[in-house]
Amino acid sequence: MSNSDRKRRPQDTPDPRKSPRSEVDSAFDLWLQRGLHQLYDGVAAEPIPAELLALIEKDRTRKRT
Amino acid sequence: MQSEFHTQLITLLPKLRVQALALTRNRAAAEDLVQDAVANALAAQDSFTPGTNFAAWMHRILRNRFISTLRKQRETTDIEDLPAGAFAVGATHEDRMVLKELGRAVNRLPNDQREALFMVVLQGMSYEDVAASTGCAVGTAKSRVFRARRQLQAWLMGENRTGERSGATETVTRVVGEARPLA
Repeated sequence: MSNSDRKRRPQDTPDPRKSPRSEVDSAFDLWLQRGLHQLYDGVAAEPIPAELLALIEKDRTRKRT
Repeated sequence: MQSEFHTQLITLLPKLRVQALALTRNRAAAEDLVQDAVANALAAQDSFTPGTNFAAWMHRILRNRFISTLRKQRETTDIEDLPAGAFAVGATHEDRMVLKELGRAVNRLPNDQREALFMVVLQGMSYEDVAASTGCAVGTAKSRVFRARRQLQAWLMGENRTGERSGATETVTRVVGEARPLA
């Protein structure tokens, strides 16, 4: 495919160079990304344990003095 | 400068918690691992060079701590947890079923693959940072993420040993198929 052909190809037309296999892989990777965020974003959003924050703040204060 | 170190550490805690879960697959063990890694980081903070990659430095400490704990507790009680997201109240039964299946499959991955996958997909880290954090070559980091993705795809979209497809497998295949662009 020449550069001019590539420029003419509409955005929503599948790239003929891309195999159905790689399309499935890309779709799965996108689904996987969403699924992992659904599973684990809640873990990251949980409050940090107070004793852990206290440990860090205590060290910060100690370093300042 | 020291104050900045502590601020960076606090900011990174949520990501460390997810990464600890990637390593341990157990909520309680993950919390202990983060606590221990933070204590190690505070003790070693003078060895951190300001302006260099703090996240990579901290992930290395977390990882080293995990490895040393693993050596001490070789035969630990290996109870794997599914993240709370697999039990989301608002999700449909089908969504929960698929998420649980995904959570179980992720837990079955080799440690190095799961670790690299989480760093890239959940933490948004570059392959260069993954390599720096895990002490491997950039090509190895890319390969681990690639193999993790294709292994999960094989487990979740492929057929099981009996040749039958589980309900979750059917659902994943359908959902992924719907996401493909029309030819």
